[in-house]
Parts: sequence; C-alpha cells; structure tokens
Amino acid sequence: MNGAEVILEDVSKFYGEVLGVNRVSLHIPPGITSLVGPNGSGKTTLMNLMAGLIHPDRGSIRVRGISPRDPERLMRITGYATQYDAAPRSMTGFEFISSLLALHGHSRSRSAQLAVQALERVGLSDAAHRKVAGYSKGMRQRVRLAQAIAHDPEVLILDEPLNGLDPLVRAETIEMFRGEAARGRHVILSSHVLQEVDIISDQVILIANGMIAAEGEIRSVREEMHEHPSQFLVRAREASRVASLLFLQDHVTEVRLSEDRQGLLVLTRSREAFSQALASIALDGYGIESVAPVDENVDALYKYLIGGEPS
Amino acid sequence: MTPLRLRQALTLAWLEARRAFLSRRSFWVYLLALFPAFVFFMHGISVKIQRDRLSSRGVISAALMDSVRESETEAAVIARLGKPVNDFAFDRRAKQDRALVRRVNYFDGSRILVLTFANGVLESKRVRTLVNLEEDRAVFAMVFQNFYLRLAVFFGCLGIFVNLFRGKMMDKTLHFWLLAPMRREVLLGGKYLAGLLAASLIFGLGALLSFRLMLWEKPPAELALFWQQHGPAHAFAYTAAAVLACVGYGSVFLATGLLLRNPIIPAAVLLLWEGANPFLPSMLQKLSVIYYVQALCPVAPPPDPNMPAIMQFLFSPANPPSRLLAVTGLLLVTALVLWLAARAVRKIEINYSTD
Repeated sequence: MNGAEVILEDVSKFYGEVLGVNRVSLHIPPGITSLVGPNGSGKTTLMNLMAGLIHPDRGSIRVRGISPRDPERLMRITGYATQYDAAPRSMTGFEFISSLLALHGHSRSRSAQLAVQALERVGLSDAAHRKVAGYSKGMRQRVRLAQAIAHDPEVLILDEPLNGLDPLVRAETIEMFRGEAARGRHVILSSHVLQEVDIISDQVILIANGMIAAEGEIRSVREEMHEHPSQFLVRAREASRVASLLFLQDHVTEVRLSEDRQGLLVLTRSREAFSQALASIALDGYGIESVAPVDENVDALYKYLIGGEPS
Repeated sequence: MTPLRLRQALTLAWLEARRAFLSRRSFWVYLLALFPAFVFFMHGISVKIQRDRLSSRGVISAALMDSVRESETEAAVIARLGKPVNDFAFDRRAKQDRALVRRVNYFDGSRILVLTFANGVLESKRVRTLVNLEEDRAVFAMVFQNFYLRLAVFFGCLGIFVNLFRGKMMDKTLHFWLLAPMRREVLLGGKYLAGLLAASLIFGLGALLSFRLMLWEKPPAELALFWQQHGPAHAFAYTAAAVLACVGYGSVFLATGLLLRNPIIPAAVLLLWEGANPFLPSMLQKLSVIYYVQALCPVAPPPDPNMPAIMQFLFSPANPPSRLLAVTGLLLVTALVLWLAARAVRKIEINYSTD
C-alpha cells in the first residue's frame, strides 16, 4: 500500500528563520484529500514539497514510492497546478500546454492531441487558440488545471483549484476530481471554500502554523475530538420537557430552546450517550420529530481545532 | 545522455530561444549588437557622400597630384592641376607677420591633396586618404575588442542568460519548467543552449555585419586583394570570437542568475575584472573570458596614445595563448562554470515570495 501512498515522514521546512512546516508526518491514500488552513499555515509549502519545488530541511517524502528529488520520474506521475497566476501570457492556451507536453518526450502530434484533450476537459476548447493574456482569471485557472492533468498523472496536486471558477465549471471540475479519485488516483487539493471541501473530500488535513492539527475522514477526525461538544438540532412536540430531561445527562453541556419552542440545540460531549438518551426519551413518547447533527463539517472542526476562521 | 534527455534539452532550447529572440526585453540586445554595424554604415555613407561631392568638382590623376613640389608658386600649381575641389583664403596674423593664406584641395578619386600657400608660395603639402583600409581595420579591431566584446556582448549575455532563471523567477513562471519530467541538469543544458543560440546568432551576425560594413566603400582593388588574402579568415575569426565570448559570458551569467538573487553587483565586479584584465598579473589575466577571446582576434587594436603614464606603466598584457589553447581554455572555463551551475540547479527552489 505504501507504494501507492503519498508519505511524508517527519518533514520540516524553514525559510530562514520563518517556519514553513514543522515535523509533519502524513500518509495520504488515493482519493480526494483536502488541505485546509489559514494563510501562511503551510498548505502551499506542503504541496511544493510534494512536487519537489522546494526541498525539506529534514525528513523524507515519497510520492507513490518516488522521491521528489527525482523530477524525471516524479513529474511523469504528478501534475501540479500551482496558485501562481503566471501562465506565459504571450502564448495561446494550446501552445502553453502542448509545449510543456513536448518536454515529456511526446511527438508534436501527440502533444497537440493531449493538449486538445486537456483543454476540452477543463472547458477551454473554444479559447484554446487565444493568447493567455486575453483570458479571464477563471480561464487562467483552468489553463493551469489543464497543464496539470494533460499528461494523465496518477497524483494531482492542486493549490486552490476552484478559485475564480463559475458555479457550473466548479461543479464540472469537482466531478472531474471525483472521476480521478474513482480511478484510484490521488487528488490533493487546498481550498478555503469549506463547504466544497466538506462535500468532495474523502480526507481532510487541517493545518495550522506549519503543523498538522488533524487528519483523516471528516467524521473520524471529529470522533477523535472527544472533548469537543457535538451539536444536534432536535425537533420535538414537547421540546421544553425533552430539554429538561436531556439536561439531566452528564454528557450534555448545553441545551437551547428555539423561539418557536419546538426546537432544541443540544451540545454533548458524547455522541453515543446522546443517541442512547434520546432514544430512551423518544420511547417515552415526547414526540421527537427529527434529529440532525449541525456541525459535522469542516468549518466547525476548523474553529474547534485551530480557533480561527479558515482562509 | 539518453535520446530522451537530448530531445528534452533541444525542445526546451527551441522554446526558450524563440522567446529570447522575440521578447520585447531583447530589443536593447539587438541595439547593442547592431551599434558597431550602424557606426560603420554611417561611416560608409559619409565616405560615399564625400567622394561623390569631391568627384563632382573634378578628379585629377594621381601622377598630377604627386607632381607638386615644395616652393612652387600658387599660380604654377593651379595652372597645372586646374580648378581645386575646395578653395578658401584668409589673412593670417602672427606677431608682426602678416600673410595671405590660400588653402586648396585636389582629389584623385581616393586621396585628398591639401596645399597651403602663403603669399603665393607653397608652404605645406599634405596627402590624406579618403578611405584607408588599414586604418579602418585597426579602428574595427579597437571597436570590436573594446566595445563589442567588453560591453555589447557582455551586457547582451547578461540580459539573455540571467533572464533564463532569474527572470523566470521574477515572472513566477520558472516552476512550469521544474514541473516537467526532466533532470535539472537537462533543464540547465536546455536553457544554456537556448541562450547560446540566441546570443550567438545575434552577436555573431552582428560582428559579421559590422565587419562587412567596415569594408564598404573601400577601393575595389584594395578590397579584392584583402578578400583574396585575409578577408574570409578575419571575418571568421571575428565571428568566432563573438560566439566564443557568448559561450564564456553566457555560462558565467547563467550561473550568476542561479546562484545570486541580484546579478547587478557580480556583473559590475566581472565587468571591472574583465576591463582591468591587461593591468592584472599575468596569472590572473588567464582567469577571464576576454583573455582567451582576444587571442582569437586577427588584428591587435592600436595602443591608446592618451593613456595616462601610470596606466601605461601598469599596462602589461600577458602573452596571448595560441588559438587552439585559447579555444580550449575558454571551453574549460565554461565547463567549470557550468558544472558549478549544475550543482546549484539541483538545489534550486521555488520561493517567489522572497524574490
């Protein structure tokens, strides 16, 4: 399995006196993994380390068994769309992609064919032969994405790939990521659109101040955080009675009654104990209509773990 | 090198060279390369205009021009040679002496005879050539070594080669090259090749064009003889010297762009080092590009008569190496610099925020 993972072992990177990332160890399996953290938390540093654009001061990195110090092998299986909005403006989108493909050793016709396919996948076929200088921000984002996927890499590293995309293209792009993940590939992305991260990610890595705050499936990360109260919305006919019964439970830390007096916001330290208690109350006939977790998303985790708003 | 790596290096060289040729930033490099050609072209135009103007006023035979003797009278000379092409008179007053001076010029198609009469008697006679191939070749040698090699090629290579890495770092586009599946050394080789292709073509052709324009408007017979004897070899030597200067300076500036964030200070130091080359101890002179490149130049520039005495005292150019040794030495220096650059490129990192 290790050969198919992206592995960082005790990786540190400093920019002079400034910390990039510190003692990061990660095993990233195939699928969609999102890096989430505030500005300067080390997301781009991690991605640059994986792509070999910078080298760790300490620790080791293997991308599907290949060291980033071996770009000749690494970049055959890796595509990286950076956040730098700097595609050469004097070239057309097609020229840009096909010239980079030529460096893979493809013939001119094969490079052209792959470039056309990549531009088609990101919805830039119509603008393929226009100069990048005339592209909108979203189009430039897409051309960078096309550059990353053009050689059909096994590992896609994407720094803020959904930035600047309109909703339709955003949905198509997410669908493309899912398709890649379904093929057993790595899609490692960073994003500050947390609702999207929540929806599309198989894994999340929460990073703050150059250190990993949490990693894993959103649900399992949440379960690791025993001390962090979970929030549930409960609708019941006799909400005030249910509130008073719940408040007797040790694991319940807070109960708030809604204005219509039929809804409850419950904070509990134990999801399991809460489920059992609620089941018991329901059986006693207090008219429980619905129960829904309200904070099982990245925003909530983020606020809890890092104590600030994500960037 | 495997065929794939070679293909990658050549592909990269072609892509980068196209940009180096067509980029707006290269405009001033073309100006530098074409400046001597422009100067010699203007000189040729000036000679042509002067010759046409003098010819239209009358051409005498060379024998007639040579027949003028000292102490001949003004009337006798003008009666024999005819109407001069230029003629003007003035009063000359020096202390108690006063003389009526008349200065006349005659033209035989290539030489100008300048006769000065004082009170009707020939006082001085000077002959100057309108065009002088030997003199122009010496001027070309001086322009080529002191301006073209030391300044034009130097700064041109600075602009072209530093831009290959440092410029791309500033543009935030270097990472695209680093994301290609190729060894960093292949990237370096491809970029060096691109710079060399651009610089060699621009400055090699610039040298050739300047040389050809220097020979423009020269007497046909003299020119034919020159082309029979030395012309092709000299043209080749100057072009080769310009190309080899690009080879040497290119490697230095490529490495500078990789190793240092600000190339201006090292460029200034190198410029000083290369400029002060003939004043350095013989051993140190060999640690420069200009030492080897100058040895390839077919004509030594004339010494500067206005050089201060102290400079003349310190001026001690080392014995030039043989051409074979010069080429070998330059290639060895280049290989050493590129080896250092290859070590640096393996460690290069993208950190645009600090650039």
